[in-house]
Amino acid sequence: MGKQAGRQGKELMKTHFAEVLARESARLAGITDGAKLSCWQRKLVEELMTPDSPYARALRQTGGGSDRAEFLDRWRALIEDAVRELVHRRAMGASDSASGPPDRAAGVDPHRTAVLVLAALHGGSTLSQIAKNSWPLNAALDLALAPFKAPSGPDSGETSCDPNRSVP
Amino acid sequence: MTTANSPNGRRLTARGAKTRARIVSSAADLMFIQGVSATTLDEVLAASGASKSQLYHHFNGKEELVRAVVELVGQRVMERERDALGNVSTIRGLRRWRDALVQNNAVRHGAYGCALGSLASEVSDHDDLAREALAQLFAEWQGLLADVLRRLQDTGRLPSDASIEQLATGLMAALQGGYVLAQTARDVAPMVTSIDMALAHIESLSPR
Repeated sequence: MGKQAGRQGKELMKTHFAEVLARESARLAGITDGAKLSCWQRKLVEELMTPDSPYARALRQTGGGSDRAEFLDRWRALIEDAVRELVHRRAMGASDSASGPPDRAAGVDPHRTAVLVLAALHGGSTLSQIAKNSWPLNAALDLALAPFKAPSGPDSGETSCDPNRSVP
Repeated sequence: MTTANSPNGRRLTARGAKTRARIVSSAADLMFIQGVSATTLDEVLAASGASKSQLYHHFNGKEELVRAVVELVGQRVMERERDALGNVSTIRGLRRWRDALVQNNAVRHGAYGCALGSLASEVSDHDDLAREALAQLFAEWQGLLADVLRRLQDTGRLPSDASIEQLATGLMAALQGGYVLAQTARDVAPMVTSIDMALAHIESLSPR
């Protein structure tokens, strides 16, 4: 009985992992600029702050387990690809318009940034969960994604997340 | 001699307080290693050597015991962090603080995570009292980090318009998330990376 419940729990968790990876794969692939990155962050925060979403369920339990390790590794790889693409696009854009201050994103290490983003969404979720407020989670992600954000003031993308063009 | 109150309001004798402390300490150790939900009261009894009637004399049930564990773990962590962060006023000092946390975690290959962070992720969504206690403890811990950042600001190593609260929150999240990643990977490397990246961002704000 206990064993069966454990097996069912494990299967359910795998379903949540798969669901999160499917959504993230689609959403992260669509990030082409800072504004879209902010839209991704907004959706991510929404998902993580919804107690029964696959995101919240996937993150709720911690601990070992090879399924979880694989899930986090694949999510990290998706974030890493998105960051690499963003750095590349920024570099192309910068060579078109040579003026202006040096781009802070130019020296970004996509792998290490992805590790920080993944840590920020885990740690930020815990802090937001105990504070019952999404502010800590957003602050954590803002720091992790700082090189891609506008140097001052809210990102221009804050108001232009088009729901019709978003992926489910 | 009276030292504390039991749930039914009865004063505790020194001996009673000692038994209570032993139960809480055993529960804290078990919950740190195997998690809150996986820890049964029977295991706590076996580990502490207390009897069932002693346990129920001090606690109405598991929920109340968990709250006492939160308090104990909170005291331990805050004492450690006050010592570690109280006099830090440089980025280098923050790196030493990071080194100590990583070193302690590496002994067990990161297997158990942060004692306080694990409690936060396990109990906060089904016990509001425990959640509030945890929120207060994390606010205090983060306050220590914010104080360090303010000292950096006072000595001109952070610009005066840097958002201290936001940076302290981001650093705490990187630490807590780093613990979780290390726990899953059974390797402290991602914890080192996440804290390093957060510290590098803070350092990059330094006026040149």
